[in-house]
Amino acid sequence: MIESDRPSLDAAQQPASAPSEVASAPAHGSVAPAHVSVAPVHGSVAPVLAPAPGAAVADANDAPLAIEVRDVRRVYKAKGGPVNALAGIDLEVRSGELFGLLGPNGAGKTTLIKILTTLLAPSSGTARVFGFDVEKDLKQIRRIMNMVAGGEQSGYGILHVREQLWMFSQYYGMSGAEGWRRSDALLERVGLADKADRRVSTLSTGERQKMNLARGLMNDPWILFLDEPTLGLDVAAARTLRELMLEWKAAVPGRTVLLTTHYMAEADELCDRIAIVDHGRILAIGTSAELKRRVQRESIFRVELDRLDGGAAALAREPGVVSATPVAAADERTDRQGVAINLVLDDDAALSAVVGALSARGSRILGLEKSEPSLEDVFVELVGRGFGDEDEPDEHRDDGRSGASDDRDEHAE
Amino acid sequence: MTGAGTARGAGAPAGLARSAGGTGVRDSLRAFVTAARIGWRMEANWTDPILFFIYSVAKPVSAAMILVVMLAVVGGPGSAALQPFVVVGTAFWSLVTSGISGLAWSILDDRERYRMLKYIFLSPSSFLVVLLGRGVARLGVGVAGALITIGIGVVFLGVPIDITRVNWPVLLVATVLGLASVVAMALLLAAVCLQTRQESWSYPEAFAGAAFLLSGAVFPLSILPAPLQVVGLVTPLGWWIEAARRALLPGAPSGIGGAGSWLAGVANTTQPDLGWCLIALIVTGAVATLAAALVFRFSVHRAQEKGLLDLTTGS
Amino acid sequence: MTTFDLVGRSGAGPRQDAAWSPRQVLITNLRAIRGRAYPRWRGMFREKSWIFFEILLPFLQTAAYVLVYRSLHAPEAYVGFVVLGGVMSAFWINVIWMMANQLWWEKSQGNLELYFAAPMSFMSILFGMALGGMVMSASRALAILLIATAVFGVTFSVQSWLLVVLVFVATLAALYGVGMVLASLFLVWGREAWHLGQALTEPVYFVSGLNFPVARLGLLGALSVGVIPLATGLDAMRQLVFSGAPFPIGTPAPAIELGILVLMAVLSTGFARWMLAAMEQRARRDGRLTIRWQ
Repeated sequence: MIESDRPSLDAAQQPASAPSEVASAPAHGSVAPAHVSVAPVHGSVAPVLAPAPGAAVADANDAPLAIEVRDVRRVYKAKGGPVNALAGIDLEVRSGELFGLLGPNGAGKTTLIKILTTLLAPSSGTARVFGFDVEKDLKQIRRIMNMVAGGEQSGYGILHVREQLWMFSQYYGMSGAEGWRRSDALLERVGLADKADRRVSTLSTGERQKMNLARGLMNDPWILFLDEPTLGLDVAAARTLRELMLEWKAAVPGRTVLLTTHYMAEADELCDRIAIVDHGRILAIGTSAELKRRVQRESIFRVELDRLDGGAAALAREPGVVSATPVAAADERTDRQGVAINLVLDDDAALSAVVGALSARGSRILGLEKSEPSLEDVFVELVGRGFGDEDEPDEHRDDGRSGASDDRDEHAE
Repeated sequence: MTGAGTARGAGAPAGLARSAGGTGVRDSLRAFVTAARIGWRMEANWTDPILFFIYSVAKPVSAAMILVVMLAVVGGPGSAALQPFVVVGTAFWSLVTSGISGLAWSILDDRERYRMLKYIFLSPSSFLVVLLGRGVARLGVGVAGALITIGIGVVFLGVPIDITRVNWPVLLVATVLGLASVVAMALLLAAVCLQTRQESWSYPEAFAGAAFLLSGAVFPLSILPAPLQVVGLVTPLGWWIEAARRALLPGAPSGIGGAGSWLAGVANTTQPDLGWCLIALIVTGAVATLAAALVFRFSVHRAQEKGLLDLTTGS
Repeated sequence: MTTFDLVGRSGAGPRQDAAWSPRQVLITNLRAIRGRAYPRWRGMFREKSWIFFEILLPFLQTAAYVLVYRSLHAPEAYVGFVVLGGVMSAFWINVIWMMANQLWWEKSQGNLELYFAAPMSFMSILFGMALGGMVMSASRALAILLIATAVFGVTFSVQSWLLVVLVFVATLAALYGVGMVLASLFLVWGREAWHLGQALTEPVYFVSGLNFPVARLGLLGALSVGVIPLATGLDAMRQLVFSGAPFPIGTPAPAIELGILVLMAVLSTGFARWMLAAMEQRARRDGRLTIRWQ
């Protein structure tokens, strides 16, 4: 199993999901509260964390890069003038990574995926998938990859679900028997076994997307492209899909996933590394923690105690503590007896010492909650506007329309 | 016949309710015109105009030429006499094909490709009115094709249409009533397509092709066995083509009558009076329209029950 | 063992797994044909309205043309021409509507991009479509042949059954090659190509002599025999199955026309292969592989 380069988080660093409990991991689908105490400086553009063009990133196992993109541009001819869907993308994804492309509608995420899945030619630049060129080695790439898009309505409504999957298995050269076997196994895992003999046209949106994911896994691809796979799904269905992705990746070694999404929490939860994309450019690349540290270098915690001898000022003198501020009494969350303190630490590592100091003072910790910026805060810092602050309305984000995001090829003549 | 209008909110101001209702005459007209404009843009605007012209001319002219050559192959005075009969009949038949397929294909297009059918259904406008509007564009294409075919027939094939001798009032009335009958047939096919899968795009043309046999468009019905002649006589298409053809070509042989025909035996005439043709057209057209409306209503209801309005099929 | 263990495979690695042998490529393409034919096959049994609309009604249309000849007291051989024309038109319709035009539907449903993202040859998909629709077309053709023969008393005098079968197979091969060429145009033309498909029904019937000997069209007919598989095949089959006719039916001789058909099949298939690759490249460049409602 290839090691993820996501830094492991010890218990002290895990965000809590509610003030009254110390959670060890964020609950599926939950969004870490974004209590950003350090206001991002709008307009400041920190150096991009992506590797410089041409610089090789050594893979620990000397395995080929799963994706290598060098100065890829894509220009569409449109009646109003050329449209730069991609304005020079440089990207490297290592084998075994779950890599996220995060950006608003129209950022260029789908365009990039289409280039990597050989459905679209770049206007300039090079892109490779496991060393295969997307312009010259189409057949090789198609043999080892698969793709699933959100809101996908592909297939034939008159077929049964099981037959639909079997049909696609044939396109990858499986024998008839093997195709049926895999179809049954995948349907079992995605929870559609009871729907196997029902027509595709009778499936709900969530069921259909599960079927699509099963189709995407049919040929056991070395790289799976997921273009907004949870678009339009309810919370439970989206969560199930994410779990399936992670389970598959964990079960079958060395698989790479490129995921595009505009759901912050999804990227946060799933991705080893994330690239933030806007207007056809990558603004930043890194792990979720790295990206958030751009906005907020300190670690901020809200601690609820039964009492605190010496007050917050005493706590502020502990090593690693930048500041300790009592929460105002008017805060509605302090609805029980006790003291709430906003702690700003140099980094997460200082928390254990603070907890020790509190115990030594006889305080009992009633609640511990980490406040950290969201990826949208990162985006705002980079670009100066939020995901929703576009010229076009943002209502399309969760409308479940078929056809993934708005950065599809609408501009081609 | 009403489509699926939505219930007006209780207690809404009258003006607001009226403007939001969508089922008044003005609203229906607006919906029809809008749908017709969309239908026309989809039929003509997205295509290369040269290709569109070729398509709207080549199809009906070729259909006529197939028969013209068949006649020439056989040769003889009988064939020569039948040529104008066949050219005019084929020209009108292109209207039938276009009109019938227009409405039916709108159902399939809007349901399978554009996924708009359910939204049309849910809108306050009458479902039927919007569908009719959508299908009318192809009927327009058919009219153009028919006129071009007749023009080519007159110029190149010697079809003896004398403008001074054309019975224009009969032609006009017959054409209007005939087109209404075509729309009724189209509605029938649309009702079928609402229940069937995507591959049923070919059904309208198959239906039109079959009706070809029973309409007297390209050969006299008298050739058919009596029971089939009767079937042809109870459909409005035969009466329409008979009236329109004889209005254009006074003295042309009858397609539905003629020596030895069932009609001649019953009505004691080989050439039914044009007035009677129009009356028969009105009666059969009304029956066909009523039947089509009932079938369509049933089909919509069944489609609602079975969730077919937003179904995508396809194989 | 989890499900993903069952469907997963360790594999030697992505680059190794991407290197397929020619045998693997062939098997994949053959299985893809089967896969794409499957929905057509299944659909036919799940929704049976086609039996009425695709078999009975087309027979009535053929009957109409027969009755035109009967009304003119034409020689009985001409009735046979119409019947044979009706039979072969079923396959032309299959080519135009079940293969070439089908890509328009596939693109709008989002299947086209999945087909291109898969490793099989696109010609397999097209052939699978045609094969799947063949049952319907063959049923239509057979129904017209049998019913019309019974109802209208058509008699055949077959010169050589072997030659008839060879001509029929070669005609189909050439037709499907042409169908693949047309399908490639849809990748770029979209809706314009759909109208082209519309324009290829009656006009092709006319220049192919669907209901009359194509030689009666003079130079146009001669050109058709050399260029349009339907014309060549029809002309050859008429000469072979109505060999007892008292007048010349067609020209050139069926053996020559068989050669022309074989050449058409080879050239059209080869050209289709090139066209599909070229059109795919152009569509990828223009971004048309994934546009809907074009």
